[in-house]
Amino acid sequence: MSAIIELEHISKHYSPTIIGVDDVTLAVEDGEFVTLLGPSGCGKSTLLRMIGGFEEPTHGTIRLADKDVTFEPPYRREVNMVFQDYALFPHMTVGENVGYGLKVQGLGRAEIETRVHEALKLVGLFDKLKLRPQQLSGGQRQRIALARAIVRRPKVLLLDEPLSALDAKLREQMQIELKHLHEKVGITFIMVTHDQTEALVMSDRVVVMEKGRIAQEGRPQDLYDHPASPYVANFIGTTNFLPGQIARVEGTTAEIALGGGRLSALLDAPMAAGTRVTVGCRPEKLRLMAEGESAANVLEGRIAEVIYYGLGLRIAVELSDGARVHVDSLLPDRLARSAVPPVGLPVRVAVEPHNVFVFAGDVAP
Amino acid sequence: MVNATYVGSNDDFAPKLMAGGGVYDLITPSIDTTKLMIDLDFVEPLDTAKIVNWAKIYPKFLALDGIQKDGAYYGMPYVWGAIAFMYRDDAFATPPSSIADLWNPDLAGKVSLWDDKSSIYVAARLNGDMDIYNLSDEQIAAAQAKLVEQKPLIRKYWATAGELVDLYKAGEVVISNTWAGYQSALLAAEGIKVTEFIPTEGAEGWMDSWMVVKGTPNAECAYKFLNMQLSELGQCGVANINGYSVTNPEAAKNCMSPDEFTALHQDDPAYLDSLMAWQPLGERFEAYTNAWNAVKAQ
Amino acid sequence: MSLIRRNLSGVLVLGIPILWIGLFMLLPYGIIVTYSFWVKKYPTFAPAFQLGNYLTLFSDPQYLRVMGRTLKISVLVSLASAALAYPFAYWLVFRCRSAKLRTWLYMAVIAPLWVSYLLRAYVWKTILGTEGVLNSFLQWAGVISEPSSIFLYNQFAMVLTLTYIFIPFMVMPIYTALEKIPVNLTEAAADLGMNPWRAFWTVTLPLSTPGLAAGFTLTFCLSFGDFIAPFLVGGPDGNLMANVIATQFGAALNWPLGSALAIVMLVVVLTIVSLSDRMERKGMTGGV
Repeated sequence: MSAIIELEHISKHYSPTIIGVDDVTLAVEDGEFVTLLGPSGCGKSTLLRMIGGFEEPTHGTIRLADKDVTFEPPYRREVNMVFQDYALFPHMTVGENVGYGLKVQGLGRAEIETRVHEALKLVGLFDKLKLRPQQLSGGQRQRIALARAIVRRPKVLLLDEPLSALDAKLREQMQIELKHLHEKVGITFIMVTHDQTEALVMSDRVVVMEKGRIAQEGRPQDLYDHPASPYVANFIGTTNFLPGQIARVEGTTAEIALGGGRLSALLDAPMAAGTRVTVGCRPEKLRLMAEGESAANVLEGRIAEVIYYGLGLRIAVELSDGARVHVDSLLPDRLARSAVPPVGLPVRVAVEPHNVFVFAGDVAP
Repeated sequence: MVNATYVGSNDDFAPKLMAGGGVYDLITPSIDTTKLMIDLDFVEPLDTAKIVNWAKIYPKFLALDGIQKDGAYYGMPYVWGAIAFMYRDDAFATPPSSIADLWNPDLAGKVSLWDDKSSIYVAARLNGDMDIYNLSDEQIAAAQAKLVEQKPLIRKYWATAGELVDLYKAGEVVISNTWAGYQSALLAAEGIKVTEFIPTEGAEGWMDSWMVVKGTPNAECAYKFLNMQLSELGQCGVANINGYSVTNPEAAKNCMSPDEFTALHQDDPAYLDSLMAWQPLGERFEAYTNAWNAVKAQ
Repeated sequence: MSLIRRNLSGVLVLGIPILWIGLFMLLPYGIIVTYSFWVKKYPTFAPAFQLGNYLTLFSDPQYLRVMGRTLKISVLVSLASAALAYPFAYWLVFRCRSAKLRTWLYMAVIAPLWVSYLLRAYVWKTILGTEGVLNSFLQWAGVISEPSSIFLYNQFAMVLTLTYIFIPFMVMPIYTALEKIPVNLTEAAADLGMNPWRAFWTVTLPLSTPGLAAGFTLTFCLSFGDFIAPFLVGGPDGNLMANVIATQFGAALNWPLGSALAIVMLVVVLTIVSLSDRMERKGMTGGV
């Protein structure tokens, strides 16, 4: 594998104090599906637009297939973009839209037609060839925008929040479709999104961004299971955070004193006893314990709130120091609804040591 | 209290009166238009007994056809003058003396002519057709051709008195026709030296008459006004302000200085006779205006 | 009670405008159409039903000539306005970075509409005249040694003056049309390999045609009916349709012929308006 896109120390300073992107270095492999994930204003879109050529970095170099394209205009880059609201040309038919970018490639009329038809068949909208974009639904427009971009066979396809304008159901369906399309065409995809599910479902690799910088990058599962910071832990999935202090370290296992009890945890990196830490654990990794059951880590409290969300329950448990932790409990059986615990009931919560994150410092996000 | 509306040309009387009745008590059209007013039934016969100085009016004017019908007078002659020609002194080494000077190619872009059917009269005279109010179709066509031939020399056709004054003032024009006495005085006041002249081909003469609009509720007041207009006050008023000659020589003699009296040709019946007094064109009116419009369309 | 009130307000809201339009627009059209079939008869004109006036218009070359001249002047004014207004509006919408400057410049273009038309036309006399500002400047700059009379009292001066006066009516619709084009469409064009020039021709220009068509219609119709510019800055060959109509209704006392002229003019204008309407509608289906 070789890098198709290389970003070296890319920065975009709008003014000395307003910084859009701050010293980002990133390599994207040929054929990879990489997602830039983060909240609005984190610099992910700016980064994508710089790759597309719509904005210029103030520092750093962008290489596309080993060629420096940092200051090349968009029309001289072999990358194509799927715009957030599709940017289809309203005065052209679907076919004209898709063929538009082929006209400059020196192809013959017949060749253009063949490729337009191919691209439309690929996205399953060949029958819409003669329609105007305004006559299509949101999902169909999305697919036309995709077809228009990939018909040019770019080295890299850029997708700027491609699914954000679709409703939830369609979005889920398109996630899978996009993933399959990526596998079929074999082009490198770089996508920007603020939706963690989207990122996890579709990408080979996720780059989490925070305030113009890369907070963490890695495979979806690595990010989910080994977040490098409370920020990442909170942005990807949901996490309960509790402040504490390391009481004792033994090998890779640490015992942590919390306001409402004690927990032992497996450390990813060595830490000294006495360090102030923030402990994180995901709601679905917590478990309400049955009467008489025992476990390695037990937190005691009482039920403060029960939220029903179809798939299961999210139960807020108030610990003895007043801190709350959320516990997810699936309802695999319709009859199990009768097992919804009443508010105020004293409960015990169990968590395995390898499911506890430990972050240095006591600042929860 | 007199509310005055000014017309740009005599041809505007009919449209103004047709547009709305009851607005005007008195009108003062020229002798080529008075007949039309009578034929249009816009004006009523005058009770000349109520006009004190009626008998003192130049007999030549009272004899004109245009102001009477079926033995009754409809117009009271009031003021007269010539459609003279005028040039800028500093533009000519030898003073021009003929209408032909307005066709001199050396003056290209410096000539102006009144935007009126009068231009047909001018061109006809240049062609040697001196019966300018009874031109045949061929003569009108010849006059039209003559005016088209002159077009490249024309800077602008002047439509209002003020416009001609502006054209001289801005140095755009050095020769034109003019309402004798009026625009030259305005230019003199601006310090621009111009001289009026009667060309060898002669000049048209005009005479304005007061007419009482039919059905006016203010008849009594109207006659008071007519009497004032023919008195020394009225006659010298118009002579001093507009530089026109007046129709009551007795009043003129009493209120004018001897110099003014002479300058306005009040003592010179021969001058008056030399002018080609405007005549109503009647049915031929359309042929004249049509030819003039065709020239402008060219 | 409320039904009555609703009916009453309905009558007021719809009835008054309909009455107004009928009384002051449709009725006069009817009168003019009627007059156009009458005949000239000394001292005025007489009722008749004949097509003589229309025949005159198309057989006497003076009317066709003036019609042709009026068309030429109007088209030139529209073209000149478009050629000046489009780049300006384009710059304002896409290139002018400061929103404040954009507003100011836009207002600067619109503001002259508050000044009397006559005054603005008159000013050009003092600029273009033989002893005018332009000649003084050219002499001062040494471009010419003698004042030139070629600037004023001709068709050039009319086109210039009318362009100056009517250009806001071109800027406004073009500006609005350009402003409505989403920025990402031009970005998409660039992304798909089009250089800025080709992107302009294939995306920006087609999407702004409704504005261009509207501006063209406005400036054309306004120039087509103008009769002040010929009077103020036009030369001996400056007479336009509206002047001829004014003459027929005025001095020539030939309302029937004047009416026929007015009807022909109306037909020309309506043709232009419906053509441009079709263009706008076509652009609209392509609109956003």
